Amino acid sequence: MGLKSKLNRMKGHLQLEKESNAINLNEKDRLVENNPQKSSEEITLEEKWRQLGFFPYAYEDQVSYQKRTFYPFQKEVETEIVNVYDWWQKTEKDHPLSCKGVPLNRLMFFDTETTGLSTGVGNTIFLIGYARMIDNGIEVIQHVLGDPSDEVPFMYGFLEDFHEEDYLVSYNGKSFDWPHVKSRHAFVRNRVPKLPQFGHIDLLHAARRLWKHELPSCRLSIVEKEKLSIFRKNDTPGSMAPLLYFDYIQEKEPDYLAGIIDHNDQDVRSLVSLYVQLSKRLAFMDRKLMKLSPKESIQIGHWFEQLKWIDHAKEHYKMAIESTGNHRDEAYYKLAILLKKEGQINSAMDYFQKCISISSFPKPEVFIEMAKIAEHQLKDFREAYTFSCHALDQIKKKSRLTAKDANQKNGVEKRIERLMNKL
Amino acid sequence: MFGKKPLQQLIEELRNDKHITFWHEIEEQEASIVPFPNLMDDRIKQALHKRGIEGIYTHQASSFDAVLKGENIVAVTPTASGKTFCYNLPVIQRHLNRSNSRALYIFPTKALAQDQKSEINEFIDDMEVNINSYTYDGDTPANIRQVVRKAGHIVITNPDMLHSAILPHHTKWISLFENLETIVIDELHTYRGVFGSHVANVIRRLKRICRYYGSNPTFICTSATIANPKELCSELTGERYIKLIDNNGAPKGKKHFVLYNPPIVNKQLNIRKPSTKVVNEIAARFLKEKIQTIVFSRSRVSVEIILSHLQELVKGELNKKSIRGYRGGYLPNQRREIERNLRNGETVGVVSTNALELGVDIGQLQVCVMNGYPGSIASSWQQAGRAGRRKDESIVIMVANSNPLDQYLFQHPEFFFEGSPETARINKDNLIILVDHLKCAAYELPFERGETFDGTEIEEILEYLTEERVLHEQRNKWYWMNDAFPAHNISLRSAAQENVIIIDQSQVEKHRVIGEMDTFSALTLLHDEAIYLHEGTQFQVEYLDWDEKKAYVREVDVEYFTDANLAVQLKVLEIDKEQTYRECVLQYGDMMVTAMATIFKKIKLETFENIGSGQIHLPEQELHTNGIALTFTSEMFLKMEEKTLEQMLMGLSHVLQHVACVRVMCDKNDLHAVPEVKAIHSEKPTVFLYDRYPGGIGLSDSVFKQFNDILNDSEDFIRRCPCEDGCPSCIGIAGVTSPINEKESMKKIVLNAITSVLS
Repeated sequence: MGLKSKLNRMKGHLQLEKESNAINLNEKDRLVENNPQKSSEEITLEEKWRQLGFFPYAYEDQVSYQKRTFYPFQKEVETEIVNVYDWWQKTEKDHPLSCKGVPLNRLMFFDTETTGLSTGVGNTIFLIGYARMIDNGIEVIQHVLGDPSDEVPFMYGFLEDFHEEDYLVSYNGKSFDWPHVKSRHAFVRNRVPKLPQFGHIDLLHAARRLWKHELPSCRLSIVEKEKLSIFRKNDTPGSMAPLLYFDYIQEKEPDYLAGIIDHNDQDVRSLVSLYVQLSKRLAFMDRKLMKLSPKESIQIGHWFEQLKWIDHAKEHYKMAIESTGNHRDEAYYKLAILLKKEGQINSAMDYFQKCISISSFPKPEVFIEMAKIAEHQLKDFREAYTFSCHALDQIKKKSRLTAKDANQKNGVEKRIERLMNKL
Repeated sequence: MFGKKPLQQLIEELRNDKHITFWHEIEEQEASIVPFPNLMDDRIKQALHKRGIEGIYTHQASSFDAVLKGENIVAVTPTASGKTFCYNLPVIQRHLNRSNSRALYIFPTKALAQDQKSEINEFIDDMEVNINSYTYDGDTPANIRQVVRKAGHIVITNPDMLHSAILPHHTKWISLFENLETIVIDELHTYRGVFGSHVANVIRRLKRICRYYGSNPTFICTSATIANPKELCSELTGERYIKLIDNNGAPKGKKHFVLYNPPIVNKQLNIRKPSTKVVNEIAARFLKEKIQTIVFSRSRVSVEIILSHLQELVKGELNKKSIRGYRGGYLPNQRREIERNLRNGETVGVVSTNALELGVDIGQLQVCVMNGYPGSIASSWQQAGRAGRRKDESIVIMVANSNPLDQYLFQHPEFFFEGSPETARINKDNLIILVDHLKCAAYELPFERGETFDGTEIEEILEYLTEERVLHEQRNKWYWMNDAFPAHNISLRSAAQENVIIIDQSQVEKHRVIGEMDTFSALTLLHDEAIYLHEGTQFQVEYLDWDEKKAYVREVDVEYFTDANLAVQLKVLEIDKEQTYRECVLQYGDMMVTAMATIFKKIKLETFENIGSGQIHLPEQELHTNGIALTFTSEMFLKMEEKTLEQMLMGLSHVLQHVACVRVMCDKNDLHAVPEVKAIHSEKPTVFLYDRYPGGIGLSDSVFKQFNDILNDSEDFIRRCPCEDGCPSCIGIAGVTSPINEKESMKKIVLNAITSVLS
């Protein structure tokens, strides 16, 4: 019996990989419709790619495709970028978003499209795109893997364009795109240059810090809409990338990929805006126009605090206090703690008071902090006793005590006991 | 104080028990020790000195020499013979020879891997050299994983991890694969059947990746006693030359191996006193004398039952901790504690499932009691190996159940002591398994035209996968072109792919998935109201959602099991081999099985009484597999009255199935038997035996080859069964006689049929 006929007979037992999303036919139709020069049989693959603006990049006997697109600056955008860039150059301490010392044209806003979301070796990167700021505008460079057997020119073309001083800016690139690049590179490592050492700013981490409380998710598309006011029209979602690429491979019809190429182009340019917007928030630029929520300011302040940029942290907490809305009490508290650490006991006490006065359910730790100051710095045991009692009241109001709460309660009770002895 | 005297006394007392059907003595054996091999590094010698070891056993020395010569070896050694030195010593030596050398250890389970890590690390610490050994499994924290990948000289893992986490991410393991010199596969005998066939393909993938990175590792395997360790090792590793090491040099004390068949309590039905009760009594005798005893039982429930009995029996004499249970489902910490207490003697008795069969270190006990035949000869010896110290006397007592397999083996103790133990078999070219792993392999590295899969031609399959748009061919290379991660859809431990998920809803707030089962088995094992046994715990299926492939079960405690009737039809598609007997013809080939579950019976656990039944409503299923057909051609059978013929075929298939399962070393569920009065392909009375896994796993093929022996054994088995007219233990039905001649029992008719074939 022929093996193939056996295979076909046993098809029911064989589990074939189901395509995870059914192919969206409308999507396909639309893509083809949008391209008036519908390819005919005689046109070579290279011609078809040229029609999409891609040029062949040959290496040895293989070829990949590259496209460069230039977007001239609008005046105000350019000013914004320059301002942000200058601000970072003047900073004195290190920050995950900092581009200090990196030439502006070496910032590389980077994104890839892959044939699957798993990070195993079987999924390929078929599109690498990045945006760079050059004179008067943004240049977007895209490399396409025309066929899975052409990984060498694909990787070579990318690495050739990669400069030692380049500084990657990505969205989730630290855990997705770059490990993937490393994995693909491993396959052709003997035939292409080594991967360079470089800096890497991952904007997803920053977006999560600032917005995880208010956005349903920090996916780039949501951040774009909610925070950058970018509304895409007729966008091909990135999740369609694998299927469209498989169709392309099957029929060698680059038009299928036109939507994903646009999507990637938009993605890397969005990263530029996102980087500018995040930096502006950090740098206090256009503070009146930005309309930050108190929570955003607190998150930024907290970030600075962790990085020991104490003055910046204080400024952002103050900004939260000055704005309207929820979470202002939290800002008072954080500010007070900072002041206390600096030895500004009276101001700290002031802010703790304010925190209590505006919160409907003051947290016990606020009273505990005040009790500590009263006991140790002000030596006012009666006052300390009163605060401790308030703290205990607040703890008792909780309907369920966690282990941490119980611990806290324990501490407060001991404090009260000690204070009673002193009184 | 307790010592040798009570044990010897108890052994003597037991000698007079009339229910003992067989007593076998294994004489003690002196250690045979040889000096350290010349090639052994002084640092290893010093570490051995530190432990008071001045020479190594012969089998350890042979392993060491062979591996350093670059030979692949399989070491077959009994429990507690120091088999870990067979691989640890050469692996460490190789590292000392070349500091970049890496080794990969594969253990069938996580627990064993943990054990091994501690053992080898202690040894390395004694040597004061810098060898990093790590386990890499589902429990390894993310931050450690990177260290393991980059710097692990010895990486200890399991086949599942290799399949789904290491190979599909091989670019993160380049330094391992570039320098891999040794692959250790422990407990080789556990890799048989479907699981073994999967693992053999994982090894093919592993070797392919090694070749890609330029390494060519040697294999060190260890195995319990099986008939064909060399063959299995060669099949599993794909290596043609394997050196067998079986010159065991470890000392052994005198050992008694005793078969105990409980008394018959119902003569007509041939039902015996429940083995559990007998086991309780026997174990208690030893435990009362504080003699360290291990009891093995097959199910979790029976472990718990025996445990509670024993704890009751020795109440007041010992504290409760001195008798413990041990089974899957206990937490790792708890298990470690029990193991420790067994080693230091604090725990005197332990009741275990086969969880303790594999190489977990619990020291050596004096007595082993088995509740029933563990299912294979190899398992029996592994369990028996738990008793027996290097110097002292020990005893192993196996207590039979009423079921046919146990009774058959008790009639034939030579199976344990003389006959070669079972043959472990795999079929790595099973089409379904092969296609699964080719997908994984293509995901890992593109295939080139002309490339084989460790010797197997695969071009046609690659072309098939290309047509199905899973692969893409370009410039004579096949590339993975799919967004799936194929390894995630393939489980090494279960049979077919589309599986029914089993969900335990005993706790309303916490539904949990406890297992999965292929659809074909689910027809008869997971229908509504079925009693499903999971690691010995009974569950009742409350609802089987066939469309969603989910079975909702709830834990129950009932004294019956369910047995579903499967209306099966077989079509012979192609005959590969044929053999003619006087009254019949035996054929082997491709078969299509269509099965429909019809009704199920509730059967009482101890007595096998039928206590109820119900309907099953599930769609028909198809299975394409390999099987044998025994077709009766002679007039004698064709003239037989239909009812008699039907019962004769049923009885015959019942016996053949059981005997064949022993012969080919498989579970009863892996090899099915179906009698048909008028088979479709021949229109003649036929008994079919087929592999219950799509594509077949080589069982029927092996049945075909040994069919004469199987027939002889079957005849002998029925003849020697103490029942008069047939019983559930032999032909499966009791007290049936021929409708024409009441004096002729079915037992006799079946016997006649076999004799007529044989003569």
